[in-house]
Amino acid sequence: MSALLEVRHATRRFAGLVALDDVSFALAPSEILGLIGPNGAGKTTLISIVSGTLAPSEGEVLFQGAPITALPAFRRARLGIGRTFQIMRPFPGLSVLDNVAVGALFGRGGGQPKLAVAREQARACLDFVGLGRSAGQRAEELGGPGRKRLELAKALAMQPKVLLCDEVMAGLNHVEIDEVIDVIRKVRDQGISILVIEHVIKAIKSLSDRLLVLHHGEKIAEGVPAEVLANPTVIEAYLGKGRA
Amino acid sequence: MKPVRALLVLAALALLAAVPWLGSDTLIQFGINTLLLAVLAQGWNIIGGYTGYASFGNSVFYGLGSYGVAIAMVQWHLPFAVGLVFGVGLGIVFACSLGVAVLRLRGHYFAIATLALAQVMTAIVSNIGLAGQNVGLVLPPLNNDRLFYELALGLLVLATLTVWGLTRSRFGFGLIAIRENEEGAAVMGIDTTLYKVLAFNLAGIFSALAGGIHAYWITFLDPESAFDISLNVKMIIMAVFGGPGTVLGPIVGAFSLSAISELLSSNVTSVAGLFFGAVIVAAIVLMPRGLADIVRNVPKTGWRYFRQNIRAHRL
Repeated sequence: MSALLEVRHATRRFAGLVALDDVSFALAPSEILGLIGPNGAGKTTLISIVSGTLAPSEGEVLFQGAPITALPAFRRARLGIGRTFQIMRPFPGLSVLDNVAVGALFGRGGGQPKLAVAREQARACLDFVGLGRSAGQRAEELGGPGRKRLELAKALAMQPKVLLCDEVMAGLNHVEIDEVIDVIRKVRDQGISILVIEHVIKAIKSLSDRLLVLHHGEKIAEGVPAEVLANPTVIEAYLGKGRA
Repeated sequence: MKPVRALLVLAALALLAAVPWLGSDTLIQFGINTLLLAVLAQGWNIIGGYTGYASFGNSVFYGLGSYGVAIAMVQWHLPFAVGLVFGVGLGIVFACSLGVAVLRLRGHYFAIATLALAQVMTAIVSNIGLAGQNVGLVLPPLNNDRLFYELALGLLVLATLTVWGLTRSRFGFGLIAIRENEEGAAVMGIDTTLYKVLAFNLAGIFSALAGGIHAYWITFLDPESAFDISLNVKMIIMAVFGGPGTVLGPIVGAFSLSAISELLSSNVTSVAGLFFGAVIVAAIVLMPRGLADIVRNVPKTGWRYFRQNIRAHRL
């Protein structure tokens, strides 16, 4: 099965700092790939390179076999790459429903031209993530967990083929985390591939088909969760030398 | 829109349209000036209020519209309507060429760049022979204030309908998304560069039309008055006072501030500017999101609304 999304030798430098160093990976259709690593490892940088928000210093990104490295972010969104942000910034001037409607209006294939239809699609996405009752509220009124779901709903409304999730579980309690895991599994069941950045190891262990570990911008491990998490290099990266 | 509100708006519109037959000549002239300022405020609303790019250079479009009409009518002896189209054309060329460059800047830098452009235009036009250089141009006179009033009112209606259309269109949602979170907007599939240029063009078109009408009305223009920098401040204050990012806000702002300014000038002439400034400062402290926000929130939160705003400024 050919990869849906491929990153080859991605390197990103910021002046003197090497944020990403020769990172390559492939994402298969309907796969959940977990991206973990200590803070500052380069996870968000990698996602930004895939979504088009940042350009790589070297390397390329391929989507469905075709190179997209030169494409600006909005064109990648229209191809089917959706993304949530770690620091959630909903559109405050709009209601929860309209926030999600933006995704439906502009998503894959250029989105839906009719506002009314977009709002219906938005409603369906809100129901899907469990925010159906909050549709009429103003976006700023949602609490932390609500905002995380809103980010998901916005990205889903774009009808993505690949979803890049940046820490959707941060700050959630056990119950909320389980709920988000359910939602992400439902998303995958729709045929969408998901790249999940997460710090909650327990959650990402049960959720991911494969794990990719970054440390100081380098890929230090990749494979099935059980193996990767038993890998001494990985443990050392998280807990420091001498603890493995 | 709720039926009661729609009726009120229509009634107000009818009343406004009837002013040339009901009011004195002074009132009609005041009306034309206010209506044109309202058009400018509404135009600014599109790029500043909805897209979040506070342009301090819309006076350029106003001036291009003025000169478009003047050159077309004086140098080429073309009718007024053609002059208007020419003026709009100049505005579009400007928005698409320099606009693309300037729209890459954000926030304060964008504001400064547009202000710089506005300053430069005066100097450039002063050196163009076709535009009459420093001396300016004198247009064929048309003594029909009623016509100009209704034209200005018609333009305001058109501008307001456009803004209303924005609130219910995919394009408008795109602009709002750009305002609230431009990076997020791009990632959701919005071609932010295209949309910003389009919004800038829209604002420019209305400003140019206002300039064209004004030029024909006062029959004279020179670079200083056509590219009047103070217009930028006026249109922004009016739009922000009334409520940026709302449909009627700029109109309310333009009417109320014009009236206040007029009252102050006639009653407290020597320190009118000082009082006007005080009004503006008070507005910024007490109602930073404009009158429209007051209408929306004060019924719910009462006087607390003002206390919250004062506290937010840490005075």
